Amino acid sequence: MRRFLASTVLLLLGLLARAEDRVSWEITPRITAPGQPFRLQIMVESDVLLGGAQQVDKEIRPPRGMALRLSGQLVRPDSNEATLNFSGVAPDQEGEYVIPSFTLRFARKLIPVTPIKLIVSKSVAYRRTTQARAELVLPERTFYVGELIRGAIHLRGGDDETVVASFGLESVAEGFTLAVTADRQPLSTELGQGLRTSFELTPIREGTSELSLRGTMLIHNADTPAFSNSNRDRPFTFRRKLVVEHVPERGRPADWTGAIGAFSAEAVQVSKDRPEVGEPIRLRAILTGTGNLDRLIPPEIPGNESWDILPATERRRQAEEQRFFVYTLVPRLPGKLLTPALRFSTFDPLTKQFSRIEFKPIEVTVTGNAPAQVDLVTADPAAPVGAKPQVAAGLAAPAPQRGAPLFRGAPTLSLASSTAFWSGNGLLLTGLLALTGAALYLGYLAAHPEIRRRRRARSILRTALREAASARLRGDRAAFAKSAVRALQVGAAALLDAEEEAMTQGDLERALPGVPRPLLDKLFERAYGERFAEGPGAAGPPDEDETLELLRRLQSLL
Amino acid sequence: MRFFACLLLCGMTSLGAAEERVLSAAETAYAKGDYAAAVEQWSDEARRDGVSSGLLSALGNAEWRLGRKGRAMVCWERALLLDPREPVALAGIRHALAAGGTERPVPTWAETYAAILTEDTWILLATACFWVATLCVVVPRLRRRSASEWNHRTRVLALTLLVLCAPGLWGGRSLSARAVVRKAEVSLRLTPTLFGEPLNGVTEGDVVRTDRPLNGHVRVTTANGKTGWLRAGEIELIRGATLPIDFDQKAAP
Repeated sequence: MRRFLASTVLLLLGLLARAEDRVSWEITPRITAPGQPFRLQIMVESDVLLGGAQQVDKEIRPPRGMALRLSGQLVRPDSNEATLNFSGVAPDQEGEYVIPSFTLRFARKLIPVTPIKLIVSKSVAYRRTTQARAELVLPERTFYVGELIRGAIHLRGGDDETVVASFGLESVAEGFTLAVTADRQPLSTELGQGLRTSFELTPIREGTSELSLRGTMLIHNADTPAFSNSNRDRPFTFRRKLVVEHVPERGRPADWTGAIGAFSAEAVQVSKDRPEVGEPIRLRAILTGTGNLDRLIPPEIPGNESWDILPATERRRQAEEQRFFVYTLVPRLPGKLLTPALRFSTFDPLTKQFSRIEFKPIEVTVTGNAPAQVDLVTADPAAPVGAKPQVAAGLAAPAPQRGAPLFRGAPTLSLASSTAFWSGNGLLLTGLLALTGAALYLGYLAAHPEIRRRRRARSILRTALREAASARLRGDRAAFAKSAVRALQVGAAALLDAEEEAMTQGDLERALPGVPRPLLDKLFERAYGERFAEGPGAAGPPDEDETLELLRRLQSLL
Repeated sequence: MRFFACLLLCGMTSLGAAEERVLSAAETAYAKGDYAAAVEQWSDEARRDGVSSGLLSALGNAEWRLGRKGRAMVCWERALLLDPREPVALAGIRHALAAGGTERPVPTWAETYAAILTEDTWILLATACFWVATLCVVVPRLRRRSASEWNHRTRVLALTLLVLCAPGLWGGRSLSARAVVRKAEVSLRLTPTLFGEPLNGVTEGDVVRTDRPLNGHVRVTTANGKTGWLRAGEIELIRGATLPIDFDQKAAP
């Protein structure tokens, strides 16, 4: 019984114990040369039945420059082990590359995989030409919005491997439109065995964008027997930064309508070289070259007195690197006429220069008779009945030299918008107003001299008050009396409109009615007594407080 | 007598020179129908030497021939701002209105009056009249003398001219505040918003009166009196003696 219980407990502990998932990986070869293919094998052992892993390619994020693809997985339905095989190509630069940790999604469990490190070293002996490889053919330069860029992926076989097929081409090209034009074409003989996939890129906005292309090629090893199924897949990936600009505005001709590339005017053809007056003929201008031929807007040809011109559509299929501009011409006059010249400008992205394409006119002999009058104005069907049709007066002959010399080089800013003009006028007006105001003020002062006199008297009175206070503090009674008398004389003179030196006690009594005469006598005697012989003398010194009060009273009157 | 003979000789020489004037490359290109080359060369000349009414009118003709109605109307209208009697610009605008499908508001009486002189000439004349009148009032006061008879006459004359300048100034402002629609087939919107309800269609080359701007739009009144909002990038103001703006240069082909 005891043994049974012990074995039961052990069994329960075994069941309850947390099982650990074991993940191991192996890279073959351990250290790779730049661009060398390698194999990555990830072995998973778990405590549950795993089944097949799902969406592994979406989880794994190889570092920049490395191609990596799930090439197969070994799982058994009744096993808790799984093996995942990846095929990859090492980056072209030497260094240590880390595949970030990712999660393997099995049907019943998610198993994390720790980061995987790949060492790329030039010290590893590896001859690139022995194995199949992918090459991106794309010009390295600045591209232009609207340009047609032709590129290709060359899947080249090696000495030991041949490229059998390719599949799964994916592209991420923000700011571009990408179109595959030819897929899995054999390579030219000088490039050797392999396949070529051509594509066309068109930038649709300026800036720096990244073009990312990836896919898988199927390779066959030359050493394996011919009838064995030993094909292997090998991924490839390209990431390229592309700089896109707008076609420069400087020097851009007015008739440039978006043509970017190298073009040449091939030929001009007419459907009939001896038409009658009024008989439509077809004019076909053939443009050849490399560039965005499909995006070209056919140049407009205005009608004239010899031809009515209508745009037409071409029924013939256009060949690659060729574009037709087709117009319907209706001759209006008989005789030998030249077809209208067809011109437009193009931009060459290699030389970064604009150039002019011109299709030369060809001579056409028009038979028949001219109509009596060629009416250039068509009737407006919406016009009211009886309304006079508007006559097209036409444009006048240009005379660019006309215009008064005064207007040549006219400023781009009108006077109405010129700050300098209005601020200059404003300053002048302000100055004039200030001058006028000053003149009026001075005139008023000249007409009323008492204003200046009283102002001067107030100023002297204030000074005298300060000096008197100071003398009083020092105990200098003579100085006090001189200051007080001087202030009283000046103030009284301003009030009486008289000379200040001539003011006596009597004048002060007239200016300040009710002022005590003894106080004045004492002040005058104290101030000016030394000039004269000694008199009977006033009884004591003047009252200083009363004197100051008198001065303040005088100040308030001024 | 000798002086008059010299004057006559100078006049004859200048007439002869005018007759023998060699056509410029731009004029030759225009005559041959290579309007794009004519536009390029006249534009270069304008950037180098400045614009004149004749040059802008010629440029307008070449732009019209290239089918760029908006640029042509801007050139012609600006030529008329520089010289209101420029015959090529007047003919071009008449042609555009009669056969080109463009519309232009009927000028008000003030605009017709203002077209006698250029806007800048009106401003200069009004400023001169103002200063003459002001100085006539101020100077005698500064000199403290009574105004003379001549002073009174000059003052009245200056004030009269100033009053006569007022409608010219108003009309000139109104003329230069118009704009030309530069985009083909745009809609007048009810509100100045991205999804404003379309009211009425205007087309490239139409002239509209402009009002206040708001939220990247400008309130405009069309030739047939419809009022609404257009995006600021869809119109170009006539004001300014420059070449038309290259609105479509950045666009991808």
